[in-house]
Amino acid sequence: MNTNPELPIPISYIAGNYFIFSVDAATFLRREHNICGILAGTLPQVPQQNVFTGLPLELMPEEARFLVEEGVACIVDEVNFQKQGMQSLVEEDCKKYLKELESQGIETMQMLLRHKERQKEGALKKIAEKKATKAKKAELKQAASDATADDSASPFFEDSQPSTPSQVSSRRSSTLGSRDAMRITPAISHPPLPQQPPAEHLLPLPQVPSSYPLFAHLHSKGYFLFPGLRFGCQYLAYPGDPLRFHSHFLVVSTLWDEELDLMKIISGGRLGTGVKKGFLIGGTDKNLEESSDAGSNVRTFSIEWAGM
Amino acid sequence: MVDLDEAAINSPSNDATGHLDVDLTDETQDFRMLNNLSFLTDTPEASLPKRGEKDFEPNPTLFQADVLSASRRAMHNALSYPRLHNPKNIVVGVYAPNGPAPAPSATSKLDTIAEHSPGKKPAPTSIGVSPDACVYVTNPKGQLFRTIGQADRWSRIWLLPEEALYLLERGSLDIRWPRCAVGDGEEDDVEDSGIPMSLQAAYACFLGHGGLTMERFSVYTGLRRLGYTVIRAPGWTQDSNIEAAGAKSSDELENQLLRRQGPGLAGIFTRFLEWLHASPPTTAMGPVVGFGFHRGYVDLFRKLSLIPYYDPATASPSSATLPYAVVFHVYKPSTHIRKSAPPSPDFRIAVVNTRTNTTMPTLSQIGTLLESTPFDPPAANKPLYVRLRHGQRNVILAAVDQGVVSYLRVADAAFGKEKIYQSQAVRGNKQRGPPRNKFKKQ
Amino acid sequence: MAKPTPSPPIPNPSALTTFISSRPTTSATTLQVLHNLQYQHLWTSLKIHDLQTAFPISLVSGLPPHRVYTHPDEQLYMVEHGLREEDIELDRMFVLPTVQGEPWSLEKMAAVFDALPNIGEEGLRSETQPSDAVQGSAGADKAAKLAEYYEYRAKGHRTKEWGGKRLLLAMIDKGMGGEGTVVYYVVQEGTVKPRQN
Repeated sequence: MNTNPELPIPISYIAGNYFIFSVDAATFLRREHNICGILAGTLPQVPQQNVFTGLPLELMPEEARFLVEEGVACIVDEVNFQKQGMQSLVEEDCKKYLKELESQGIETMQMLLRHKERQKEGALKKIAEKKATKAKKAELKQAASDATADDSASPFFEDSQPSTPSQVSSRRSSTLGSRDAMRITPAISHPPLPQQPPAEHLLPLPQVPSSYPLFAHLHSKGYFLFPGLRFGCQYLAYPGDPLRFHSHFLVVSTLWDEELDLMKIISGGRLGTGVKKGFLIGGTDKNLEESSDAGSNVRTFSIEWAGM
Repeated sequence: MVDLDEAAINSPSNDATGHLDVDLTDETQDFRMLNNLSFLTDTPEASLPKRGEKDFEPNPTLFQADVLSASRRAMHNALSYPRLHNPKNIVVGVYAPNGPAPAPSATSKLDTIAEHSPGKKPAPTSIGVSPDACVYVTNPKGQLFRTIGQADRWSRIWLLPEEALYLLERGSLDIRWPRCAVGDGEEDDVEDSGIPMSLQAAYACFLGHGGLTMERFSVYTGLRRLGYTVIRAPGWTQDSNIEAAGAKSSDELENQLLRRQGPGLAGIFTRFLEWLHASPPTTAMGPVVGFGFHRGYVDLFRKLSLIPYYDPATASPSSATLPYAVVFHVYKPSTHIRKSAPPSPDFRIAVVNTRTNTTMPTLSQIGTLLESTPFDPPAANKPLYVRLRHGQRNVILAAVDQGVVSYLRVADAAFGKEKIYQSQAVRGNKQRGPPRNKFKKQ
Repeated sequence: MAKPTPSPPIPNPSALTTFISSRPTTSATTLQVLHNLQYQHLWTSLKIHDLQTAFPISLVSGLPPHRVYTHPDEQLYMVEHGLREEDIELDRMFVLPTVQGEPWSLEKMAAVFDALPNIGEEGLRSETQPSDAVQGSAGADKAAKLAEYYEYRAKGHRTKEWGGKRLLLAMIDKGMGGEGTVVYYVVQEGTVKPRQN
């Protein structure tokens, strides 16, 4: 899992949004750069729920911008890259790619069959054990006939039989051919497309909202930032990976001399205190020199209800 | 295999039993919980995990570091799960980048068909599916196609971009590149090239196609995952709003029907209001209630209700402007749907990107949006508060912030229509402290 | 019902109105907050400070009857060392009086904080006299612990371990003609983690 993907990581720009499709890239950005994004996709293994979601990872423009500025990632015009990349595929590459997918598919099928066989063995073993104990009991009692023991065991066995959906299961797994190969929908397009897109498909720095300096400031202090709409703010700031920690702040950005309604501070402070979080307001101090680090000239204030 | 596991996971119907008080999607959940749902085993008792325990802040202990890396490992594993299709029951779709087209294999046969129907245009829509459709499936199998896709004359099912992307993402559809897209064959050759489309390519091809934005897709897929049926509403594109004038006529009909049905009580009040408007000088000159005989409070209160109110029932349907327009019709999992003639939806949803629309909608935007929905008054036998909450028209706003969706229900509550003094007369002295109630409304 | 009656005598002005009109040179907002602190929240030794910032702002300071804010880490320290809030001398707290609808900005907030004395510096603890009760009854052990605490806190003030500069933002409700409610919020410079209780 701790594999480091090749840098720069391509971020796919599609219809105004920024995406990561590679699982290695997603976990790498989280682990090494405190960038989480939002898992926007459906998990194929549990598709009928919203608690756990899967790839792609949707990045805020702020996250994409930060990663590009750090030199960790680049922005790819994915629509044109896909279109032209697929159009210019060489037949040889296609064949090679399909062959590879097929052997992966066969391997997967073998794995599944082996798994199923093990399960079946396990089930049979259990039945045998059950039978043995039953038989023992029967022996002890001397009263029960063999028939009852059989009756209790056989439906169990038959039950487990039709629940294995694959009809190939009876065949030896070693004899699987290309027709039995699992078909695979890959998550990413490399291969057959190259890992790094050609320069003509690279895009400039992402456009970011005026809250970017505050985003960069909090990120540089080690906070993990999430879109904040659920709590009526711009960002949620987590002191560590949101997988394991509760957020500390509801964050709202404001310009240095922008008129600020005091009621916003009060309602934000009250809302935050109600969910055991602080309300954090901040922005770029116009009087401070901007250094090379984005967000270094940002000032922030934490607000909580005083309880009086 | 995959389908079996799917059945083992809770559907929204039995999901509601456990932890109603917490919305697990509110915050990131620990993926270690997901490992409890063992995928490769057939244990049917797998259920949605409970909220994982989280810490307040990081500390330098090894224990915390271990737990975190275990969580991340679990997440990595969950995200690595492949999308597999058993060759025995695989459903294959083919991408048609230029939209719906007649079956190429049928072109020879088509000639004969064309002779029978000479007036047919060669335009893509001539095959009877939405021009935004971009994937066709020749062997549609499974539950999902009951509410997804449109059939053409060659019994292929055409999928809209959101449908195709959703099915591919959940591992239910293997989409192939067409021959024309992989530099093989003519420009309009949409035969299966045999090369599967990756999730990455699918997003690149389908997002931005036919008006599908990521915000709309987040709403679509989020609701589909919960078992709702989601179909496009006429407001999907701005120009189809004009087209919607025809489609909306059913709503208008509904409206007229209600207006005709309601002359009993509503009629009286309208006339009464007219009367009030016609006679302002009298109230200006003398006492509001006037001098005559009054045999009950109802009369008095009726005369006291001077302030005109807005009656949602009389609003004329208007066409809303995006983003404050209904783009999805949503049906509960239990609603039976015929794709060819979908019933009136259970919910209407407008999708708003909060990054581009950073302020609350204006009253006029909300008003127009509500007026574009059909009149949907609450049942008269419901309690007052429930009626007010339900409103006379309603719509759901899905506010999307970078993939995080919040749903808000907006309803047009007609306080003016709730004549508290009348319901009192009918219900007698069931209410406590009647004077307070009388002053609260109107 | 509408029988004309002689107009009632004008009621005496409220205590607050009298107080405000007695000090015409000080802003009514400041005085109202001071009055509220004194009589609703029982603060003592209240003072008004006029700040020399780009914006004319006056602060109120005083001693609350009990601690208003304890940083979560400070609280943890106290628990670990067996100290209770009552054992610790009260700090003079600064209160920023504002009124609902008053134009405000990040710049203004920063100006107020810049003019605020550093936490632990002059003006915070100078007023408070060492309490005899603690020294008399609790014995040397507690006194040592307290000394240790004060030393640690002084260090903490420099590292901002227990938070940086802080004040109470007081906002007077002017809705419904101003019914006199004052709300108080703790504002601190920087990212100060929230209290958990």
